[in-house]
Amino acid sequence: MKIDLVKKLKAELETIESLTQLSSLESSYLGSKGSVNQMLKEIGKFPPEQRKTQAIAIQKTAKEVKDLLATKKKTLLASHSADELKNQAETLDLQPPKIGHLHPITQTIRELNKFFTEMGYSIMEDLELETDEFCFQRLNVPPDHPARALQDTLYIKEPNYLLRTHTSSIEARVLDKYEPPIKVVSPGKVYRNEKVNKSNHFVFHHYQGTVVLPEVSLKDLFGTFTALFKRMYGPDVVLRYRNKYYPEVEPGAGVDMQCFNCHGKGCRLCKGVGWIEMGGAGIIHPDVLEKAGIDHKKWRGFAFGLGLDRWVMAKYKINDIRTLLGGNLGYKPFENENTL
Amino acid sequence: MKILYSQLKELVPQLKASPQIVGETLTLTGFMMDSLEKVQYQGKTDYLIGLEVRQNRADCLSILGIAREVAAYWGLECRDLHDLVPKIKQPTGSAEIKDKSSQEKIAGKGLTIEIRDKEPIRRILAVEITNLKNKQSPSWLKEFLSFYEINSINFPVDLSNYVMLLTGYPSHLLDKSKIQGELIWSLNKNFKEITTLDNSKIKLEQKEELIIQDQTNILALAGIVGGKVAATDQKTTSIVAEMAIYDRALIRKNSNGLKVVTEASNRLEKDLDTTSSSIAFELLTSLIIKHCGGELVGKVFDFYPQKRKMPVINLNLQDPSSYAGIEISPEKTGQILEDLRFKVKKNGNNLQVSPPSDRMDINMEEDVIEEVVRIVGYDKIPVDQPPKLTVVKNITPQVIKLTDSLKDMLIALGFDEILSSPLIKKEANADVNYQNWKVIATQNSVNEEYPDLRQSMAPGLIHQLEEYVKKGIDQINIFEIGKIFGQINNHYHEQESLGLLTHKSAKEKGLSQLQQATEKLLRTSGINDVRWLKSKTVPTIANPYSCWDLIVGEKIVGILYKLKSIEKLAGSTYFAEINLSDMTALLKHYQPEPTTELTKKIVTLDVNLEFPIGKKQTPEELINKKLQEIRQKISKDNLWSLKIHDIFPLKNKIRYTVRVSYKELSDPQAKKLHSEVFGGLAIIK
Repeated sequence: MKIDLVKKLKAELETIESLTQLSSLESSYLGSKGSVNQMLKEIGKFPPEQRKTQAIAIQKTAKEVKDLLATKKKTLLASHSADELKNQAETLDLQPPKIGHLHPITQTIRELNKFFTEMGYSIMEDLELETDEFCFQRLNVPPDHPARALQDTLYIKEPNYLLRTHTSSIEARVLDKYEPPIKVVSPGKVYRNEKVNKSNHFVFHHYQGTVVLPEVSLKDLFGTFTALFKRMYGPDVVLRYRNKYYPEVEPGAGVDMQCFNCHGKGCRLCKGVGWIEMGGAGIIHPDVLEKAGIDHKKWRGFAFGLGLDRWVMAKYKINDIRTLLGGNLGYKPFENENTL
Repeated sequence: MKILYSQLKELVPQLKASPQIVGETLTLTGFMMDSLEKVQYQGKTDYLIGLEVRQNRADCLSILGIAREVAAYWGLECRDLHDLVPKIKQPTGSAEIKDKSSQEKIAGKGLTIEIRDKEPIRRILAVEITNLKNKQSPSWLKEFLSFYEINSINFPVDLSNYVMLLTGYPSHLLDKSKIQGELIWSLNKNFKEITTLDNSKIKLEQKEELIIQDQTNILALAGIVGGKVAATDQKTTSIVAEMAIYDRALIRKNSNGLKVVTEASNRLEKDLDTTSSSIAFELLTSLIIKHCGGELVGKVFDFYPQKRKMPVINLNLQDPSSYAGIEISPEKTGQILEDLRFKVKKNGNNLQVSPPSDRMDINMEEDVIEEVVRIVGYDKIPVDQPPKLTVVKNITPQVIKLTDSLKDMLIALGFDEILSSPLIKKEANADVNYQNWKVIATQNSVNEEYPDLRQSMAPGLIHQLEEYVKKGIDQINIFEIGKIFGQINNHYHEQESLGLLTHKSAKEKGLSQLQQATEKLLRTSGINDVRWLKSKTVPTIANPYSCWDLIVGEKIVGILYKLKSIEKLAGSTYFAEINLSDMTALLKHYQPEPTTELTKKIVTLDVNLEFPIGKKQTPEELINKKLQEIRQKISKDNLWSLKIHDIFPLKNKIRYTVRVSYKELSDPQAKKLHSEVFGGLAIIK
C-alpha cells in the first residue's frame, strides 16, 4: 500500500503543471479525507502486534508524500515566479531625462562666489534702478566730474534716477548700511547707454568686491586677485597690475591677463597688445568712506570690479555678446558625448 | 593721446629706453599704451605711441606732459616750456586790448573785450597780431598734424593746433577784420545757431552755452569750436589770438548737451592749469610771428580773476609703504616727488609737499601716496601673497540664498536658465502686466526700440521660446530670475522675480505640471501654505479661463497661466511667476517642521463640502477659506494632511470632497474628532 501510494503520487506529479493542480492533488493526499489520513485511520484495524510496525510504515509513507508534494510546489513556485516577473518587467525609457542647465554667467558667478565665500566674504545685491547719489556721488563722482564721461548713463529721470552703470553702487549701499569690518562681493547686471552690436550691449554683468578692515594694502588686493585668477585659469596664468584711474579708489589699479590666445605676442583677440583687460581695483578713496560715515583714519578698504561678459564669452567660446541675453544660447542635451 | 617717440627724445634728450619700453612703462604708471605704430616722419623712421589718458590729467593731454612723466620715471631732465619759445620783436605800439569793465577804451585800431559773464571764466589771454602773411603750412607741420587726424587749414591755425598738442592748451584765432565792434564773452541768450569752421550747423539751446560774440554775430562756442563768421583765411592779415580756460563743468555740459566733442573740449573739460597758460600763449604768438611775420599790437590782454594757490600737503612717510604693502624708504619717496617736480620739505616723520601748478589733480595725501607708489611701480609689489583670512560677519541676504537654491531645484526639475534684457519693447509690458504697475521708461536710450523696464519675466522667456522653436529645439522648459520694475504711487519699485515657462506639443497639457513644479519650489523652500485662486487681474497674453493667482497665506505672490496661442507657434505655452522678494519676506514667518514621530496608523477620512456659485465670492475662495478654518480647528499634533480630493460641479454649486488624514489617533478617536470638526456632515470613509 505504501509503495503503491508513493508510486501513484509520483506518477500523478509528473502530470502536474500548475500550483492549482498541485493544490487539488495535495488535498486528495493530505486533506482530511485524503489518502494519507485514510491510511492513518486504518492503523486501528490492524492486530495489536502489527499496529506499531504499520504505524511507522504509514507515517514514513505520509512523510514521503508530504516531501514529494513540497518539492513539486517549490519547483512550480520557482517556475511560476520567473513567469510572473517576466510579465511584470518594465523596459528602460529610450528618451533621456530632461536635465536643466545654469546660464554660463550664473555658472561663472557661482565659481567666483565659491572662491570668495571660502575667503569669508558675504554676497550682496541691491538696486538696479539707482539714484545719482549712490551710483556716482557716493563714489566720488560729483555731477560735474569728467569721470562721468567714462560712463554713458541710461536715465530714468534725469538727473536723479538712473540704471546703475556699475556694481560699485552696491559698494556704496553696503558702506552706508553696514559697519566695518566688511567683506562682500556683489555680482549683478549693469547698464550703459550703448548701441547694441556684436561686441557691446546696453546690459552686461559686473562682479564687485569690497573689503574694509583696519588696514589693507595693494599687496593684499593683488594677492587676492592673483589667487582668484589662478583658481579660474590655472596656476600658469600671468597677470599685470598697472596704475589706473578710477574716481572711487586712490591708488587705483588696472588688472590685465596675458592673452591666453597668443601668450603675450599680440593677436586679434588682444588687439595686438598681448594683454586682455580683466578689471579695475584700488584702495577705496577716503572720500568714499567718509561719505558713508566711516572714519578713514581708522578703516581702510580695497575694492575691485570685474566685467563678466567677456570672461564668459572667452571661456564658453561665444563670439557675440548678444548671445548671452538674446536667444541664441543653446544647451547641448548630451554634454559629455565626447567622453563616451 | 598720441606721441611721437622723436618728440619725446627732443624734450628728454637723455632718454635711452626704446619706444616699446617707454610705452610699457607709461602703461604701468597710469597711461595705458593702446597702440604702437612704426611711422615715417620727415623721411625718418619714427614711432607713434598711443596712450589712454583717463584721469583728470589735462597736463598729459599734451606731448610736454607725457615727456615730463617719462623724465620723472627715469629721473631725467625734461626741457622747460620757456626754452621752446622763439625770440620775437616786442610790441612797439601803444594800442592794446582792454577789458570793457575796466572802463578803459582803446584808441585807434585797438579792440575792446567785454566779459559779460565772468563766473565761468578762469583766465583769458588775448592779443592782436597785425601785418601777418597768411600762407599754407610747411610739410613738417601738415605731416605732424596728420598723426592726430587734424586737417591743415592755414599756417597760423595749424600752429594753434600744434601748440595745443605740445602744451595742452587750446587756442582760437579770429580774423580781426571780421569782428564787428567789441569781442564779448557771454552766456548765450540770443543766438539760435552757429555755423562752425567746417560749415556744420549746431542748434543752440540758449541756456548756458558760453559763447564768444561780437555786436552782431556769434563767433565761437567758447572752449569747444570756432565759428565760420570770423574764421581766418588766406587773405587774413590781422588776427586776434585768444587762449582761455573756463569752468570745466560748463564746458563738459555744453559739449555733451550739444553733442560736439572736440580736441579743445576734451582738454577744457578737465582741470587745466591757469598759471602756465601765459607761457603757452607766448609760445603760440611767437611761433605765429616767427613763421608768418607780423607784430603784436600792444600788450597781451589777461583776464585772470583768481590765481590758484597750490596746496601744501602733509605726507606721513610711512604711508606709501603701508598702502603699497612693501617697504618704500623716505629717501626714495622724497626723490620720486622731486622728480615729479613737487616742492618737498622734510618735517620730522612727514614731508610737506606742494605739487607743480600743472598737477591740478593733486589735492590730498592719498593723491601724493599714489604718485609715489605708481612711480615705484606696481610690478614691484608681490602678487602671490593673499591676505590672511579675516573672519567678519556674514551679511548675505536671504533672497540670494533662496535664489541660489531655487536654481538648483529648477535644473533638477529639467528647466534651463536663460537671461534676458530687462529693457524691452514698448508694447511688451502691456501684454504681460498683471500688477497694475505703471511702466518705467528710460529717457535717453540710444536703443529706442527697447525703452521700457520689464514688469514681468514673461517677455524675455517668450522671446527665448520663439527662438528655440525657430531653431528646432524641443522639450522647452526655461526659467529666469531677475528684477522686474514698476511705478507704484509715483514711487519706483523693483523686485526679484522668478519666471518659468514651459511649452508643450498640441497633444500634451502642461498647466498642472507647471503648477506642480511651482509648488515643489515653494514647499521645498519651506512654504507649505500654498493656494491657487482664479486671477483677478488677467494679463492680456493669458487665457482668462486658465489663469491663477498663487497665494501664500493671504498674500498673492505670483501667477500661473496658459498663454493664448502664439502666432506661428504650434502647441501650448504655460507661464508662472513668483515674487521672490515677497517669498523671502514670507519665509521669515515659516518654521517648517516636517519631521514627526509616527506610532499609530494614519486614519484617513473624507467629507463632502458644497459651496454655491455666487458673485461675491467664488467657490474656490470659499473652499480655501474653509480649509484655513479646518486647519485652525485640528491640532498640529493630529493633522497629517488636508487636501481637496475631488471636485464635482452640481447645479449652481460645487461639491468638494475634502480628505483629512489624522495622525497619532485611534480609529474611533479620529472619527470623533472628524465629527466635531465637520459637525453633522456625513463622514465618508
